[in-house]
Amino acid sequence: MFTGSRRGQIGRAAGAAALLLGAASAAAGADDQWLEVRFARDSPVLLVSFSLGPTTARPLGMSMALDLHASLVLRNTGNKPISGLTLRVEAQDLTPAGKGSVTRPSLHVAPGETFPVRVDMQLLRPFSMARSEGALVQVSLDCALFSDLTAYGPDSLGSRRALMVYELEARRDRRYLAALLQEQRLAQLREDLNFGLQDFSPQQLGLELLREPRGSARGEQPVTVGAVSFPSSPVQTVSGAARVAGNEVRAPQIDVRNTSQKVVRSIDMGWIVRDERGRDFVAGSVPARMQLGPVQTGTMSEPGTLRFSHPTGQPMVIDALLAFVNDVEFADGKVWIPTRTDIDAATSDPVLRRALGASPEQQRLAEIYRRKGVSGLAEELRRLN
Amino acid sequence: MSMAELGAGAHPRAEILALYATGDLPWRLRWRTRSHVRRCGDCEQQALLFRSARAELKREAETETLTGFEAIADLGRLEREMLGNIAVGVAAARCIDNAGRTRGLFSKGALAAALMALFAAGWLTHIPKEETAQLTASARRVFGWERPQASGTVLRTMPDGIAVRAQGATLMMMHPRSAVVSVSGASAVEARYVDEETGQVTITNVYGQ
Repeated sequence: MFTGSRRGQIGRAAGAAALLLGAASAAAGADDQWLEVRFARDSPVLLVSFSLGPTTARPLGMSMALDLHASLVLRNTGNKPISGLTLRVEAQDLTPAGKGSVTRPSLHVAPGETFPVRVDMQLLRPFSMARSEGALVQVSLDCALFSDLTAYGPDSLGSRRALMVYELEARRDRRYLAALLQEQRLAQLREDLNFGLQDFSPQQLGLELLREPRGSARGEQPVTVGAVSFPSSPVQTVSGAARVAGNEVRAPQIDVRNTSQKVVRSIDMGWIVRDERGRDFVAGSVPARMQLGPVQTGTMSEPGTLRFSHPTGQPMVIDALLAFVNDVEFADGKVWIPTRTDIDAATSDPVLRRALGASPEQQRLAEIYRRKGVSGLAEELRRLN
Repeated sequence: MSMAELGAGAHPRAEILALYATGDLPWRLRWRTRSHVRRCGDCEQQALLFRSARAELKREAETETLTGFEAIADLGRLEREMLGNIAVGVAAARCIDNAGRTRGLFSKGALAAALMALFAAGWLTHIPKEETAQLTASARRVFGWERPQASGTVLRTMPDGIAVRAQGATLMMMHPRSAVVSVSGASAVEARYVDEETGQVTITNVYGQ
């Protein structure tokens, strides 16, 4: 996508139009509101301040591109510490088909404290598109997770479960790193926080998710889905299959068995794609509701199409597909996540192991380590443990 | 706009004066317009107004931003003005095109070649390779070498954000280029990054239905 400055260099005539556009934007009145922040009265977080930062509007083809950069300062008005929250971002032009969200895990906000959240977004709407009343973009609370793992909010995006998993991973990783510090295993600590000699950062990839079911295409081939197993997982993969055509994966499905004594309510299945050079990329995970009694089996399937590319935009040729159980939610509301030992045992590939264990909290702690060193990390772990 | 319209005391049209003020007229037309403007106080004032407006707008364009309150503006009016400005731009382009009609085919060809070379050089030095690759991929779809995108809801990652396109509009949650993107549900894509200012992790998602 072109930036404003690059567009300005393309031609003088276009530049003249862009300059006139600048005048039009600056001269426009303040009748309409573009972005609205709304919280319920009983919400445990309330808005302290809201400001629009460098916000621009410009024509892009036959559409108008609005770059909105909002800075919110929120306050925990409840009586419990907040561990994480998700804000829902809805644009009236895309409702109900599309929406966005901003999640802040690992918050640790005590009652009465404030914290900032940024919402950086771009809305592209054709000039011909009709507009209804109200703000173009609405921001509201979808879910707030407290330190006792209870939650507040409508949870229309399924964010409660994601926040719960982030929090459990955070506790796991803090305990692990604190143990490394206590045992003076600093070399291991540096490697885990990505300060080793070798770069084990997760591989980046580009992807498209197409929701329309598609017919079979030329060159499409069935592939068997392999499994990456965590020893302590209460759900194990049995078998799986998908159709692959070039850089597209279609209709992946996997059979799973509940090996625990508890009833499973939902499973988050992770997917790994292997490219033609044998490199593994964690493509993400897909949670699905699935009532599964002890020793029962079930099938998880995804009707859409996933199209992968390298960060440069070049299509990624898919050589193999692997699946792993990312987390499991039981009927009693408890959630299982893999332990550090599980992750170490699952694969010998250090890059894949790093990707499987990369939690938001580990990223945050790595940043503290980068900025403040071992002493800063130790202080942060003491504060939270 | 023909050269004849500038002769015998006729005033140049507003777009000619606007292009004259910005130095964008072909040299013959510029010379004729300058002769007229020197003799005509009204046109001189009009050209000065265009020039000062351009300087003002250029200052604004250099900042490339509007303040928050300027941005919260009358959307309908802004859209109408954008469309109007596009029409002005097209008219200005036509004007330049017409003014240059008297030139020979050779000079047109040379100009086109020079512009192409300038465009290619500008592209190579200013457009990131990721965007070039994306445009190449789009071209491949246009020529049928790659399957086109579906027309329904599409979620996709881009260098600066993750986007959902639905109902003709697109919503993109923006992120730094260091963000790691992944699928986060049957109809969701996520991007995860560390906020450089706060050191906190932020996770953005887009959802389709």
